[in-house]
Amino acid sequence: MVRKSWTTREIVLAAAFTLVLVAVLTLYIWYQTEYVRLNYEIDRLQARIAGLREEVRKLEAERSRLLSLDRVEETARGELGLTDPRPGQVIYEEPPAGAPGKTR
Amino acid sequence: MRTLYESGPRKRVKVLVPFFALWFLIIVGRLAELQVLNHAKLKSEAQQQTRDKVEVRARRGTIFDQNDRILATSLPAETVYLQPGKDETAEVNIEKVRQLQPLLGLTDAEATRIIGLIRSRARFIYLKKRASPETADAVRELNLEGIGFERDRIRIYPQGKLAAHVLGWLNDEGKGGAGLEYAFDGLLGGKPGSQVILRDARGRPFETQTLLEAQPGEDLTLTLDSTIQYYAESELAHGLSEFGATWGTVIIMSPAGEILALANSPAYDPNNGAPADQNLWRNAAIKANFEPGSTFKIVTAAAAVESGLVGFDQAFDCSAGSLVAGGTVIRDHKRFGVLSFAEVFSESSNVGTALVARRLGPRVLFDEILKFGFGERTGIEFASEEAGLVHPLDRWNKTSSLEHVAIGYEVMATALQVLRAMNVFATRGWLVRPRIVLKPSETERTSGLPATHEVLDGRTAEDLIRRVFTLVVEKGTGLPARLEGFSIAGKTGTAQKHLGAGLGYSSTEHQASFVGFVPAENPVFTMIVVIDSPRGELQYGGQVAAPVFRRIAAAVLHYLRVPPRLEQRVKPVPAEPAAEERP
Repeated sequence: MVRKSWTTREIVLAAAFTLVLVAVLTLYIWYQTEYVRLNYEIDRLQARIAGLREEVRKLEAERSRLLSLDRVEETARGELGLTDPRPGQVIYEEPPAGAPGKTR
Repeated sequence: MRTLYESGPRKRVKVLVPFFALWFLIIVGRLAELQVLNHAKLKSEAQQQTRDKVEVRARRGTIFDQNDRILATSLPAETVYLQPGKDETAEVNIEKVRQLQPLLGLTDAEATRIIGLIRSRARFIYLKKRASPETADAVRELNLEGIGFERDRIRIYPQGKLAAHVLGWLNDEGKGGAGLEYAFDGLLGGKPGSQVILRDARGRPFETQTLLEAQPGEDLTLTLDSTIQYYAESELAHGLSEFGATWGTVIIMSPAGEILALANSPAYDPNNGAPADQNLWRNAAIKANFEPGSTFKIVTAAAAVESGLVGFDQAFDCSAGSLVAGGTVIRDHKRFGVLSFAEVFSESSNVGTALVARRLGPRVLFDEILKFGFGERTGIEFASEEAGLVHPLDRWNKTSSLEHVAIGYEVMATALQVLRAMNVFATRGWLVRPRIVLKPSETERTSGLPATHEVLDGRTAEDLIRRVFTLVVEKGTGLPARLEGFSIAGKTGTAQKHLGAGLGYSSTEHQASFVGFVPAENPVFTMIVVIDSPRGELQYGGQVAAPVFRRIAAAVLHYLRVPPRLEQRVKPVPAEPAAEERP
């Protein structure tokens, strides 16, 4: 079997075609890889957002627990020695003259 | 020149081609066996081993009070389970449980139960449901074979026992078991999603695919005010302890029908799930039917004035101290003389009230009872509520029911119904539908009952407040409810407890109550206090429930910044110097 040897032009064309093919394939693979990578990144960020939201909820619940009134009263009376105001210690402000509801 | 193709060893090709062809045929044959002949069976086995479809529980909505304080919320948690390996001995898995016991906080009883399951060759065992993420991470770090995790959620009630009976609790499946958690389970619970967990050949998960996103539940904002709720619960618990009572309830409502506090004592902590004793989580404020006793006289008084059959200027001879009605004797708690209409009610004379009722007749009283909403549910947004009991008129005993009903016997009511009836006077004649859910507002549609309707003439209500119900607190049986600087309209009640069919009434067991509103001239809230079976000498509503009412009212008025009347304010005194400043 005799095979024709390739001319320089053919070799250049084949090389160019191969180069273009490789470039296209590389671009495609890069695109796919980047697509997957970005999706992973989005997933990761969404998970982080969800995690942070849960963290906020947890902190809010903790704040609510710390501010629960039985705990506040226990601290106020037990640790700080606060007591209820005695009669007369609460001063009620008079509404300013001319305010609605003021009678003379 | 010979090309590359012309120089190949043809002999070797002749040997290799059949070899590769045979190899190829074997592979094709095996593939055909796997993919065609045993396809269905193998696919099913593979999916069973490598794919788990699991339900993803939606985030449950948060419950807030009217000031956006969190009353109940859901946080992420993880359920830890054990899948013993096929080749592992029971001892290996028992050792894992022993290792995890302190980390997971398992009691000895729980550990023993799990070990029993391992010995019985169970293939899937829950070790700890709803563990905190921190605990789960600590377990994960041990990297033990066969230990797995399921995403879950835990319900937290940050205020502990506060409003426990209103909120309810969740069962093991994460469904509402009582209270608003139960009534609004659909709204709060959201819609579950689903995920597929892909596992490798050894059963280890390596990828999770979401098939359907879970839809989180909606939040609920209540009309409750945590601070007012706290005052109600604290003072109620204090009252129960002071009088050695069994249980008690307090409801505070704005005249428009918004429940500001609903407290029952004893209470429980919903963080621990359902209490074993069902009586402990029963919401007595809406579930306990009782004969209201003298607080029910507000209806008799309203019927008398509204019908025009009895006037404020009329007098009633109560000097006998008792009255016979159909073979039963109605007695007063003390001997009175001739009482005016107002005094009959301010002194809570049973004889006087029975005499008033006789002038009205059964029909007038019966109609008034229905107008005040007794015998029907109030329509508050809980899943179940008692309706009380009002016998139809044709079932009334012709010789005794009129007098007994007039003083609050032979009828049953819940604390909320009595409160709503008293609120008719606070609103100057309007019967409101109580509500405890502020948002979402569409929950208003859950009841077909009208929100409010007029049941009493405004002038009648005003007259009764001014001439009767404030007198109860200024000079009558409700004197211990008196609060310096504020006018209170109210009514005491002391009902003997019914011992059961045919057994009559107890002479020692009472239900003491006080219902009223403050300030009488421009009410900010209406409140009822019911204390069951107080022990000791003090048994009457005025002695037991009225002081609790006063203490709660004082705290709530102060909190709501309602100033006392100018002429009754106590003269200001300077604050005492702090201890360290004193000489």
